[in-house]
Amino acid sequence: MSSLPSRATTVIVGGGIQGLMLAFCLAERGSTDTVVLDAGYWQGGASGRNGTMVRGGFASQEWTRFFGRSLELWVGLSKRLGENVMFTRRGYAILAESEAMDGLLDTMTATHRLCGVQSRRLAASQIADILPHADHTRIRGALYFDQGGIAPHHAVMKGLRKACIARGVRLFYDTPVTGFEKSNGRMAAVLCGETRIEADVTVICCGAQNTRVAALAGLELNGEAHRIEALATEPMRPVIGPGIALPERFTYLHQTARGEIVGGSEVPGETPRESLANTVPIMAAFARHLVEMFPCLADLRILRHWTGMLHVTSDHAPMMGPHPDLADLWVSGGWMYGIAGAPAAGDMLAQAIVTGVIDARMAPFAVDRFRRGALIVEGSTVNV
Amino acid sequence: MKRLAHATQRAGTFLFDGRTVPFHLGDTPAAALHAQAIRTLARSRKFHRPRGLSGSFVAGHLCGVDGSPHVRLDRLAAAQGMRVTTENVWPCGAFDLLGSARLLPRRWLRAGFEHSPLMPSGTARFEPWERFMRFMAGEAPVHAGNRRAIPQGRRMTSDVVVVGGGPAGREAANAAAAQGRSVALVTRGHVAGAKAAAWGAVLPALHDGVTVLTAHDACGLYDRGRHLLCAPHDAASSATIVAAGEVILATGRRSAPPLVAGADLPGVMDAETALTLAHRHAVAPGERVAVVGNGMEDTLAARLERLGVTVVACQPVERLERIVGWSAVSGIDAGGHIACDCVVHAGPWRSDRRLAFMAGADGDLRVLGGPLPAMVRLAGAAQEADEPVGHGAALDRRALACPCMDVTVDELLDLIAAGETHVEVLKRLTGCGMGPCQGIPCWDNLAHIVAHATGREPSGIGHPTYRPPGAGLTLAQAAGLQDLVPLS
Repeated sequence: MSSLPSRATTVIVGGGIQGLMLAFCLAERGSTDTVVLDAGYWQGGASGRNGTMVRGGFASQEWTRFFGRSLELWVGLSKRLGENVMFTRRGYAILAESEAMDGLLDTMTATHRLCGVQSRRLAASQIADILPHADHTRIRGALYFDQGGIAPHHAVMKGLRKACIARGVRLFYDTPVTGFEKSNGRMAAVLCGETRIEADVTVICCGAQNTRVAALAGLELNGEAHRIEALATEPMRPVIGPGIALPERFTYLHQTARGEIVGGSEVPGETPRESLANTVPIMAAFARHLVEMFPCLADLRILRHWTGMLHVTSDHAPMMGPHPDLADLWVSGGWMYGIAGAPAAGDMLAQAIVTGVIDARMAPFAVDRFRRGALIVEGSTVNV
Repeated sequence: MKRLAHATQRAGTFLFDGRTVPFHLGDTPAAALHAQAIRTLARSRKFHRPRGLSGSFVAGHLCGVDGSPHVRLDRLAAAQGMRVTTENVWPCGAFDLLGSARLLPRRWLRAGFEHSPLMPSGTARFEPWERFMRFMAGEAPVHAGNRRAIPQGRRMTSDVVVVGGGPAGREAANAAAAQGRSVALVTRGHVAGAKAAAWGAVLPALHDGVTVLTAHDACGLYDRGRHLLCAPHDAASSATIVAAGEVILATGRRSAPPLVAGADLPGVMDAETALTLAHRHAVAPGERVAVVGNGMEDTLAARLERLGVTVVACQPVERLERIVGWSAVSGIDAGGHIACDCVVHAGPWRSDRRLAFMAGADGDLRVLGGPLPAMVRLAGAAQEADEPVGHGAALDRRALACPCMDVTVDELLDLIAAGETHVEVLKRLTGCGMGPCQGIPCWDNLAHIVAHATGREPSGIGHPTYRPPGAGLTLAQAAGLQDLVPLS
């Protein structure tokens, strides 16, 4: 591996999907002098531990406009990268088990129409066609995204990494940032131990580490680290086509191309802590949700169970844009739907950094919205 | 394969891919099939190579049983009328067209499960391809009518829990019970100490005060040792959480398969599997058995011969160059060619470190094992140093590092040569260790290959995270664990 340079046009702290996508989009716009630094190993963070599901529509217009754009960008991504990211539009279903949730799905459909994102309510017979193995007595209604689907993180990360390296982006893993240097009211350099990397632009996008890394620059960032657990079962022939969200159960799942059922649940009430150790109750909760909704999976064995960590903001929405307190510092954080949102985030941030123009669809997610009191109200996310 | 002199009487028949198979009292389906010389129980993930009873590669032991997917045939009692079916075959086990995949050049099927070089890139052509790939990769068919009530899990408390029913486990359990402490002992065997008995050892009786969980996998250790997850092999039974004040891991050592070409063929098995066949089931592991080992080969050969098995060769494992065969073992090359239909390996011996790792595992960027918590300790052979896997000056590029996922040494060496030396990254690029064994023995092979190719010490390479529950627990059993352990 080559050694760290002493300067770069852009230094990106965090080599997950946000960091690599941004580096790639910057390179597409001609800005290739980028260094990406990551404290862990490639795919070691949330970008290698997530549910890999992609949808364009949410309950709020802000989310729907942004993620709708991101879904459009997912479609052409393989071609842009020259690598198959294995994005597949197998569909994405949000299932309602209560009247209240069913009502929310109606509201969401209206929002989607307003924002130009395709979605539809499914009749009972259509639910039976799309999810033949589900327990239909539990499902009161469904909202379906024909264009939603799955983007397997290993393929996406592999494609992004190859495409970045091919365009001259320098990637350094197992390379923690130890400090920052500010001068004249701007972010001037990133420190990695003894090495000082001078940068025109610095971007913090390191997931659950965001607040800690920002603190190294003496800056506060809204949000906190949040644990998520997921598991994978032994492989089966196709049982479940689309990605599935069960909002009332705080549960999401899909079946991978190699047959494993992968998903997770959240169990409210956990004490926040930073740890990748697994727990029994969260595994048990997800297993119960899965078996209740898909009874034919009862005897399937659990191959492995793991934990990932996210940066969750106080309104659960991502934050993207310049940091309000320090020039030349940008942030892309607060990602709970980071796989779904990465193509739009990379594209719009790259445009903003290179041209200074902030896309209207990204603007509501500004980093300073918390202090302005301009929180985003979004009622459909699975994560609590 | 012949039944040995001490065979029990015939007890009934079951169906394997429609064919009637007789079984004897106490047989597992794996033993009964072996006795009928049916040795291919499964097909590998990508190359569709034959896989069988090995004791090392779990995917080779898995079949559908009465509609349930991926049931371990070596851990189940054969029952009258049971329907066993091969998975990952099309259209059927008796006439498997997918088996021709092994004729494809191995380079075409690299890169884990996505078979990258074969895959059209770009969305439009990818989606139909993905449908085909999902069918190919998914292995087990789904039976819509296959429902099961969630077995309510149970929580057991005891002063001490011992994992392993061998000599060290018994000694520790008996010592604790003699002090008046409550003791639970968890064993994978159908009885505690089955493996030692197969070797011919006479073990001391267990103290009356010891509660024994037989046919259970201790498949996860959580909360720094406070909760041991034990899954019964029978999917209808509930899982148990043992909350103990002290955890003693007496999990012994097992023989690592040789890292040579052909070691994945049906007919290659570890000492424990061969002895279990010969001793417990009175089935010869082969008609002509070759034994290789790391010092224990003579003892093992003598034991097998005493049980009535024909041993045609007994060699140190480092002389083994390759194992020859197409659908099963037909011979070995070890100095010269020796015709045999079974290879039994007795070493290199290595401990299963998963529970010890999980007891101390934590981290925020990477899960690393820490020092054992004070309440967890190792006992017996599990404490002994691991013997190195692999032998010889050069690596055999044709060998499979991870036979369940069809990861070749060749593929790993090419990635290492391209600069990928992090075991977590190599796992993600190839799928090595992501099958039902969850890293044992493949990550030992992975560390050896990285060490060999980079000139580093194997002990400094490490391994990817051992993640519970490692195919030990069904979803229904896991669902039954709700409310047994408080949320942390």
